[in-house]
Amino acid sequence: MMRYHPLTMLYRLFHLLKNSLFIIIILFVVNHDSDMWMMKYGRYIFIVVIIMMIFNIIVSWFVEKYEWKEKVFYIHKGIFVKETSTIPFSRIQNITRKTEIFHKIFGLTSLTFETAMDGLDDSIHFKVITKKHADELIDLIKVEKDIVSENDETNELNDGEMIEQVNTKNTKLTKERTLHFTPRQKDLWKASFTSLSFLAIIPIIAGGFEYVQPFLEDRYELEGVVQTFLDSSWIIGVVITFAVIISVCFGIATTFIRYGKYEISSDTTHIYIERGVLNESYFSIEKNKIQGLEIQQTVLKRLFGLAEVKIISSAKAGEEDGKVNVNSLYPFLPLQEAYELIEEILPNYQIHDQLEKLPRVALFLKLIRPSWFWLLATVALIYFKPSFLFLSWWALSLILLFIIVINRVLDYFHTRYILEGDQVQWWKGGLTSRMFITKRKNVVEMSYSQSRLQKRFQVSSVTTINRSTPIHMETIQDIPLPYALSIQDWYYKRSEDVEVI
Amino acid sequence: MSDRKLENTLSPIYPKIKRITALISKFIQFIILGVLIWMYSYFDWPTWIYWVLIGLIVLNVFMTIWSIFEPHYYYRSWSYQFDEEYLQLSYGIFQKEWVTVPMTKIQSVTTTQGPIMKRYQIRSISVETVGSSHVIPALEEEVAFSLREKLAEFAKLKEVGE
Repeated sequence: MMRYHPLTMLYRLFHLLKNSLFIIIILFVVNHDSDMWMMKYGRYIFIVVIIMMIFNIIVSWFVEKYEWKEKVFYIHKGIFVKETSTIPFSRIQNITRKTEIFHKIFGLTSLTFETAMDGLDDSIHFKVITKKHADELIDLIKVEKDIVSENDETNELNDGEMIEQVNTKNTKLTKERTLHFTPRQKDLWKASFTSLSFLAIIPIIAGGFEYVQPFLEDRYELEGVVQTFLDSSWIIGVVITFAVIISVCFGIATTFIRYGKYEISSDTTHIYIERGVLNESYFSIEKNKIQGLEIQQTVLKRLFGLAEVKIISSAKAGEEDGKVNVNSLYPFLPLQEAYELIEEILPNYQIHDQLEKLPRVALFLKLIRPSWFWLLATVALIYFKPSFLFLSWWALSLILLFIIVINRVLDYFHTRYILEGDQVQWWKGGLTSRMFITKRKNVVEMSYSQSRLQKRFQVSSVTTINRSTPIHMETIQDIPLPYALSIQDWYYKRSEDVEVI
Repeated sequence: MSDRKLENTLSPIYPKIKRITALISKFIQFIILGVLIWMYSYFDWPTWIYWVLIGLIVLNVFMTIWSIFEPHYYYRSWSYQFDEEYLQLSYGIFQKEWVTVPMTKIQSVTTTQGPIMKRYQIRSISVETVGSSHVIPALEEEVAFSLREKLAEFAKLKEVGE
């Protein structure tokens, strides 16, 4: 049995401090001599909680242990209630390795094995681990897994020597990775404008201000300052200009830091994504665990000809890494390159660009379908009569209606679909359009439906469900009924693709 | 073509049961609304609450009338069929749905029976899959049990790579 790296304690302390920094400032700095009951008792409670958490961090280091025996991980934890989870290597779906600044200082890294089990605590986190040990563990799992899968395939040979040979060959093979994508300077510049991440600073400032305000006792004074600010318009002008310049720089900097160093590579069985300048991370996923793919284009990205490629898999999406979704291959790929990348990485996917269009009646149908959202919003507008940007309620309602109509018309033009072999592919969506592609064997459920209106025009909607967490549901609306039925028939031939045991 | 029917239908008693349950629940709702109206006059609540309550009562009257007719149409819209590979369901009055579930993706099958269903010896079957859950609302007891056994048997198979 092994304990985690001792610096795990320091790492968790560091995070505890980081997360409670704001409360500390509120309780002990801003309001350090306030006698308000909330502040007074808040301080005591805070200290007690912090002491308990520090105690917990130290004790749990002593009780949390891990070990592996014959392709199975055993994770022990729990201070009062002992708990052991068992995770077979074969269940591990993807491997994430992240090197935050903390790790960089000590020359260490972190490692996460994610599984596709339905349990609650189903991933293994090594918050702090030496690089060497991380490599060992990754190799351990990969080699063992390869042997397992090879054994499956060569079982009928029943020849020990034969299997061994195949194994060594296979492990060598998996080492050969091909690099598929790494961003160029030009892409990054485009990306920093399409991502609009520079606008992120505005809500941060506004939110921060609003969050802090109630805790500041002399808020009237502060409002006075704001008022004088607003009174002199040229100061506002200068402030706004500065804010824009700062936020643009901020946006470009974050984009370069986040997506500057980025490598997508793959071998026969896995896809690897390595990224990050300050916080490095490594992510790998097994190819046959991929349930489908998605390409997403927002309006801005479409203008720049860029798109985001996402993997649909049952791995939990961006659980602890909110900034970059682990399921996203790269958010700013030129569309054509995105297609090529998918075909290179996953050769069994063929992306078509000649797809079927919707019949003309679909446009009519999309336009006459009542918009409940618009109706409700209009009722709310009439009732509350808000004054937003000096527009009256009917103008706001009309603007909303206009956006909805534009969205529907765009949806009509974007909707395209094709069924070929064991693969279904479609585009849809208005302002933000999305492409979805999957294989028949990965569709776990299929349905089609028809409303009265759709029945009149002989069209219908098709819905597919794919495994993911939570499940991935896709619906394409208003395709001609015969095509929907052919998709249904196509789905009945699913047994051709799957092997049943 | 879009009206293609599947092999099996629900139990013909279904509309009756549905009507009884619907009427009972509507009756309870009317009592609650009546109590609220009384509370409105007793506690001097603001006027808009009165209008909301009146609106709800009118709505409930229409819903009650509809709940007498609806079960018949809903019963006619329902059909299902199954073989070794797929379970298929088809239902819906205004929005018609055809669902196909591969047997290998079924995770559990449950039968349930409420007090009114018990009186007519009817059971409902709910099928949990990887992606969602579906309910066949009313089947005769023996049909329900044999379907449950069959589904469980077919669902035992699993696909390679799971």
